[in-house]
Amino acid sequence: MPDAGFVQIKYLDYRDWQPGARRMRVENPGFYVMSPFADAWVVEGALVYDGMSGASPTWHDTLSGASGEGIHDRRAAGDAKLTRYFERFSVGAGIAYSHENDYISRGASLDLRVWTADKNRTFAFTYAGAADRINTPDGAASHERKYVNDFLFGVTQVLSQTAIVQSNVTYTRARGYLDDPYKTFDARPDRRRVLAWLTRLNQHHPASDGTLQLAYRYIDDSWDANSHMVEAAWVQPLPYAFSVRPNVRYYTQRAAYFYFDPPFPSGLVPGQPYTADTRLSAFGAVTLGVMLARDFGDGWSGDLKVEYYRQKSSWRAGGDGSPDLLPFSARWIQVGVGKSF
Amino acid sequence: MTASPAMRPARLALALALCALLGGCASFAPPQPWEKEYLARPSMQFDADRLDTRNVQHIYYSKEGAAGGYGVGGGGCGCN
Amino acid sequence: MKRRSFLAASLLVLPTASRAALPGTPAPALSLPDASGRTVALDALRGKVVYVDFWASWCSPCKRSFPWMNEMAQRHGPQGFEILAVNLDRKRDDADRFLKSTPAGFTVVFDPAGVTPAAWQVKGMPSSYLVDATGKVVMAESGFRDDRKAEVEERIRAALAAR
Repeated sequence: MPDAGFVQIKYLDYRDWQPGARRMRVENPGFYVMSPFADAWVVEGALVYDGMSGASPTWHDTLSGASGEGIHDRRAAGDAKLTRYFERFSVGAGIAYSHENDYISRGASLDLRVWTADKNRTFAFTYAGAADRINTPDGAASHERKYVNDFLFGVTQVLSQTAIVQSNVTYTRARGYLDDPYKTFDARPDRRRVLAWLTRLNQHHPASDGTLQLAYRYIDDSWDANSHMVEAAWVQPLPYAFSVRPNVRYYTQRAAYFYFDPPFPSGLVPGQPYTADTRLSAFGAVTLGVMLARDFGDGWSGDLKVEYYRQKSSWRAGGDGSPDLLPFSARWIQVGVGKSF
Repeated sequence: MTASPAMRPARLALALALCALLGGCASFAPPQPWEKEYLARPSMQFDADRLDTRNVQHIYYSKEGAAGGYGVGGGGCGCN
Repeated sequence: MKRRSFLAASLLVLPTASRAALPGTPAPALSLPDASGRTVALDALRGKVVYVDFWASWCSPCKRSFPWMNEMAQRHGPQGFEILAVNLDRKRDDADRFLKSTPAGFTVVFDPAGVTPAAWQVKGMPSSYLVDATGKVVMAESGFRDDRKAEVEERIRAALAAR
């Protein structure tokens, strides 16, 4: 059970682009607070806001708005969670709400954690459900509904004084309106099942005082966009209470079975699922990032992170990436301040 | 999951990743309560920075085919 | 937190390890050096009521427990109450840094090799044990919780009265 409360504000500036054209810009302030109270309870809450603007593809990498018009959208989301701690287990319940001009999401979650007497092994069981409503101004999606159920089972095991590993299996079932209403033609199945298996390891190295963080995730998708992700990071304490954390991530995915290559709309058969959304194409992606953090004493902390992301068909592991697509790049900068109390 | 020629490098990457992860399992010596000094550090915890995990996973969720594994119940977004 | 709600809450709590073997048995041996290198032995404190507390600089509830322990030492010291805080930091520097920002008005001894906690069946950090005037362990606590402070002080008073 956490012993101290924590409040944190972060601001994220995100931009993406493709060769010759800028695409989306997102400004994202966020707030998080966590506080223990009454000796056995913890309350947590978060509020985030997304200001989105820019161009988004109508199909493949063809962007909307020859006249430069694009998307201007705002999203506000909040969630809260209450957890009760007992000697050997904890129970938590949470609610979540998200609102943008064409999309409303309402969700709730329940989780149970059980640990051994020596606290070296913890089991986590979580269920989350969400009911969403999509209603676009242009009528492409009119009062559509989407339901998502998530189940998580995870184990965290302390391996030694300097190593801890966690493995989570998440089963997600989505049904209802799963199309992207902003694509010129997009018809997806009304059901999707995703199984994600994430394993991560943190290992401390006393000689350097640094910590290695490794993660691997495999996703099995009923739409066939199976993927692998590997991530590695190193946390290195520096003089004057600074620490630096460089990280690298590699991601590779298959195309969804109803994704069709350019030219649009070849492969389109009325009544059959179809998408030209490059997010469901076959590609590989690399992220390179670095975060600098500082402990200012008295519970104050600050951090600054920059990450650069590039998605390219030719980077798909083993080759066979989706042809005739431009690479996609993004960069985000995040700055944060925190205080424990 | 049959291994087509295209899948073999991916399987190799998977095998290497698992070996690296399991390398941490080589010394299985769960510590006593008074030996948990390093484990108390934020860098040794998972999701010590909730907002950061949320932001980053939200970006990947909206730019890649599928997501998951980091925890559920954080709230939905219009990222169909 | 009121008595009744505390009892109700404790019924929901699975049996705690802190109610295991130690209370009711003679206290295990404890002989460790203090900051100046002088050996402090628990045996030598027979006749006093001793609160043995295992702590470390990296344990966040330990920071909260020190002001309370200072208060107990001041309030009950004249009646024959002693606190023996056993530090388990690997590196003495870390303990010294902690003590500089969170001073101890009681005896602190050092066990960087972690030899004593095993004998005392330490199950969590911090762990504290109340040893009565006859050298018997009468209470074992795992963790430091605000809703336990009143009860622990009661046990200290009871042990002092029984001297």
